[in-house]
Amino acid sequence: MSEPVNPVEYTKKELPASMSKIATALIAIGLIGVILAYLFDTTRASFNGLVMLMFVTSIGAGSVFLIAIEYLGGAVWSTPFRRVSEFLGAVVFLLPLLALPVYLNLHSIFEWTHLEVVEADKILSGKSAYLNPTFFTVRVIIFFSIWILFYLILTRNSKKQDSNGDQNLTKINIKVSAIFIPFFGLTLTFAAIDWIMSLEPHWFSTIFGVYYFSGTMLAALSFATILIVYLNEKGYFVKGISKDNYYSLGALLFAFVNFWAYIAFSQFLLIWYANLPEETFWYLARWDGAWKYVTISTIFIHFLLPYIVLAPQPAKKDPKRLIVASVIILFAHFLDIFWLVMPTFGKESFAFGWIEIAFPILAVGLILFVFVFKYKSENLVPIRDPKLKRGLNFRL
Amino acid sequence: MSAIDYTQELSVVEGKPPLREIDELIIQPLDTKPDKNFFIALSITGSMLLLGALMLAWSFYKGTGVWGNNNPVAWGFPIVNFVFWVGIGHAGTLISAILFLFRQKWRTGIARFAEGMTIFAVMTAGVFPIIHTGRPWLAGYLLPYPNQHDLWVNFHSPLVWDVFAVSTYFTVSFVFWYVGLIPDFGTLRDRTASKIKKVIYSVFSLGWRHSNRHWQHYEMVYLVLAGFATPLVLSVHTIVSFDFAVSILPGWHTTIFPPYFVAGAVFSGFAMVQNVLIIIRKIFHFEHIITLDTLERMNKIILLTGMMVGYAYAMEFFIAWYSGVQPEQFAFLNRAFGPYMWAYWIMVSCNVIFPQFFWIKKIRRKISVMFIIAVLVNVGMWFERFVITVTSLSRDYLPSSWAYYKPTLVDGGILIGSFGLFFTLLILFTKSLPVISISEVKAVVDGAQPSHGEH
Amino acid sequence: MSDKTIFAYSALFDSPDDIIHAAEEVKKQGFEKYDVNTPYPVHGMDDAMKLSPSKLGYVALFFGLSGMLAAIILTYFTSVVDYPQVIGGKPFYAFPGYVPVMFELTVLSAAVLTVATMLLIFFKLPNNRHPLHDTNYMKAVSSDKYGLYIEIEDEKYDEAVIKSLFERFNAKVIEPIYYDDTEVEHKNRIFEPKFIIGLVLIAVITSGTTYFTLNKLMFMIPFSWMMDQDKIVPQESYELFADGFGMRNPVEGTIARGQLPYEYYQKPEEAAVALINPLFPTAENFALGKKKYDIYCSPCHGYHGEGDSRMRGQFPNPPSLHSEKVRDWTDGRIYHVITEGQNVMPSYSTQLSREEKWATVLYIRALQRSLNAKESDLE
Repeated sequence: MSEPVNPVEYTKKELPASMSKIATALIAIGLIGVILAYLFDTTRASFNGLVMLMFVTSIGAGSVFLIAIEYLGGAVWSTPFRRVSEFLGAVVFLLPLLALPVYLNLHSIFEWTHLEVVEADKILSGKSAYLNPTFFTVRVIIFFSIWILFYLILTRNSKKQDSNGDQNLTKINIKVSAIFIPFFGLTLTFAAIDWIMSLEPHWFSTIFGVYYFSGTMLAALSFATILIVYLNEKGYFVKGISKDNYYSLGALLFAFVNFWAYIAFSQFLLIWYANLPEETFWYLARWDGAWKYVTISTIFIHFLLPYIVLAPQPAKKDPKRLIVASVIILFAHFLDIFWLVMPTFGKESFAFGWIEIAFPILAVGLILFVFVFKYKSENLVPIRDPKLKRGLNFRL
Repeated sequence: MSAIDYTQELSVVEGKPPLREIDELIIQPLDTKPDKNFFIALSITGSMLLLGALMLAWSFYKGTGVWGNNNPVAWGFPIVNFVFWVGIGHAGTLISAILFLFRQKWRTGIARFAEGMTIFAVMTAGVFPIIHTGRPWLAGYLLPYPNQHDLWVNFHSPLVWDVFAVSTYFTVSFVFWYVGLIPDFGTLRDRTASKIKKVIYSVFSLGWRHSNRHWQHYEMVYLVLAGFATPLVLSVHTIVSFDFAVSILPGWHTTIFPPYFVAGAVFSGFAMVQNVLIIIRKIFHFEHIITLDTLERMNKIILLTGMMVGYAYAMEFFIAWYSGVQPEQFAFLNRAFGPYMWAYWIMVSCNVIFPQFFWIKKIRRKISVMFIIAVLVNVGMWFERFVITVTSLSRDYLPSSWAYYKPTLVDGGILIGSFGLFFTLLILFTKSLPVISISEVKAVVDGAQPSHGEH
Repeated sequence: MSDKTIFAYSALFDSPDDIIHAAEEVKKQGFEKYDVNTPYPVHGMDDAMKLSPSKLGYVALFFGLSGMLAAIILTYFTSVVDYPQVIGGKPFYAFPGYVPVMFELTVLSAAVLTVATMLLIFFKLPNNRHPLHDTNYMKAVSSDKYGLYIEIEDEKYDEAVIKSLFERFNAKVIEPIYYDDTEVEHKNRIFEPKFIIGLVLIAVITSGTTYFTLNKLMFMIPFSWMMDQDKIVPQESYELFADGFGMRNPVEGTIARGQLPYEYYQKPEEAAVALINPLFPTAENFALGKKKYDIYCSPCHGYHGEGDSRMRGQFPNPPSLHSEKVRDWTDGRIYHVITEGQNVMPSYSTQLSREEKWATVLYIRALQRSLNAKESDLE
């Protein structure tokens, strides 16, 4: 048996009070806006609620995935930061709550819930074995429970390690992560198909799950990066975190910016090139009226801008530029989901007003609040993780 | 359950050998006369190559009618083999570039060899689209150059993209490989006693001096090359997948093709690297450099990519049903239960089912079993390309033109010849160049880097 | 030994820690023309030697952008300016379709040219004449030792100082490095016979190969542009058939499409009775007849059938088509003349199809009517 690991010297500092204040304020503003929105225009609010749900899913499920690949890949540079993802992953508990208002308005969002439409449409009735409210509900429950279950196992073990330093816990977590990866791949894919792709029930694309996954990774990683860099610069972590840890973080972010662009371009090119009407209408809807500008700006905000910010070697080590890039990416991911969901609501033009602003405010507030809440009860650094010391001595 | 100590980094090279021993171990195959086994192996692969060459000469003399390609199935064996071999090549670049970017030190022992395999595999792959044109000596027409006919190539054609992608891939892989070899040529030059060898090594080493002022730029260039090779390797198989996916043929036109092909390429490439490495480390006694841990990691990647490929199969099937488009649904039912169902189920079992054995740690570390699974994976991946190419073409939109594709003996001979070419080059490589990067391995031996990193 | 020119003073170390210390110290002492040679890149050495970061990243950026620009120009010029083609219903400059080529050229140019820049410009390689080559020092550092040398050209070069410095850092071997004799007396060897013979050989082989390829090889199977194929060309003999002809006669009684046999050869009277114009006198048929008449008949018969030939006596003038004789002929009789010819007039069977001949007959009838209209035509 390996020796229990000795803890790394770590003193917990209180988070700045402003952080929880900001979180509370965001939630307050957002919540008022969201409630008003539901009273004011339920359909529009439900669509926005769906956007928010998918955004929070990205952060939550994506963070659990980040924890898993850290264990699985044996990465050490990210071990000092892992707790940030573990805290953020806790937002998976919020998902059922956020899904509820959307679920109650399922009928006004999804065309395939309209029985008379489905019966009249040969293609839709062919799909009704999959796209029906009962099976949909079952699937959604399965997704949420799988994410929550694996989140609980992984973080429990990690937390337990803080007190006993047992290396076996790392080993168990590696195994759990290996089992989680295929589950994650399938649940995330079908979540994307169910919540987003089936908004246009005639449209289909085999790459769609991968596309949503690439955005998920980016969102989870960039939210974590903002917190990591901010907290580390203020000295909330332990000593020893160097620019090389930042560099790896930046490089991963950079890699996934490219990966997203690759997947997005592949999907677009194939549909554009083959020019089949049963596929192109989806893109054409996003080229209508004002949507055209949203589509074009996605290319810039989601790919070119973060690419240019992160491409130079020094940028990946620079805390400021890392935060700038992460904020851009986070915004881009929200925009991306908005772009995926909302054209179904505003077929002719794209609607943008206070309702659309209220939802992201609530989303960010909730995620931040969960982070602050988790921070209170746990260490920010996995002090007795066997890989922690190696992570602190990490050099490229 | 053997306990692993996660506080320590696993050493990449076992047993902390002195640097001079590494030189000797790696260079030994170059200094010794080849033994009998070498010539036996070479004569086997050489005869395979000769068979392929004769079959090709016959094809050129008589025309491509001697192949099995028929009217609906215009892309028969040549394209299947092309995609297969390009895929094999991908593992090399992945190991040398992507794992380099991820700072995976275990790659050092196998990187050079895998890069060599990339180059040979791409060369082998490059043969096929060119012979498929029927008159390969006119292949120059594929390049855009100002000419008397006043014609330009069609830059919208995925086949032209292929020309650019494969030739860029070959060139960049070759440059990457050569840049890695320069310091080793320097070491070889300083060790050798033979005059002729010394001249050769001097020429290829370009007069490398192991200078630290050079190392600095060298490392930068290596990083830049790795940074470019990574998207390049993705783009190559992506473009190969575009050959199929930009069409409107059911079973070809599906958006998941790009990442799915890349995952498949890495999958088959790792299996091939695994096969060859197992033999090489045995013959040349590289057990300390190409460790069992390295092989186990490779198996994990095979398992992972195998699951990605399985995911793509499942997704294709599901979305074909989900799409509600009748030809799509038919194409996939036809694959699984049509006249080519034998090929489909060979593919599924070899690519998705057998790799699942790698969940078990004992099998991951058992050399004989992993060798068999790797062979099966290669068989499966060859059949994957066969299934994609042939089933969709043989039964397209027009039932009146459906036909069953049957390869001829000439097709088989050319396929055997391609293996002959690949392995002949590989065998010659093991005796003429250091198959493990000397300078890189030295850099990852325990104690090779200064102990006090903090300055 | 002493007559050799010294190049530098060198020291060999056993461990990476020693070499890092030594390099740091040498830099601190203010030496500039020194270098460290190690069998592999030692981490932290760039800091120890205080080297400024490599600029090769910018070189790669420059070449990458150049490659991309070249690809944009190439695709734009070829598919919009020089050879525009509508492909797949896309616009001439359909950008997404060019992305793959642009990407590949970017990578190609960046990778290859950056490496070339590094080797040729940054390192000034190939250079096998450096004084370090073939020294014990070089042999040691390319295997397992860590070396450092200070060139004699350094402003602070002082043998004693350097020696003591090296000793202080635990150097195992300390020795001077000399220039090689051939390096000092470098001779121009372009005019050596061996070199010139080599050049001549290359020229002969190149031109010989080119001649052979262009004049012989390209006329051999299978390079001969598919001139030789396994098929029988018309008019060729073929011994498989008893009559030795490659071409086969069709089965007896075969009629080629659109070519009904003419049954009234040399039988004008029978034709006159049996043949009846199958065409209706519609505007289209008249137009067709006029067209054919103007092309084939009018050169001799004249545009109006009056026998006013345009042949200017190079061919005998035919009689007028308005004669009573011709006017009294049946349509079949005229048709027969067109088909078979008459006196010096040749047959027009090959030029005119059956339908066209009848249309011409219709037109001739119209011409005749125009000069000899009947009373009833006025109604």
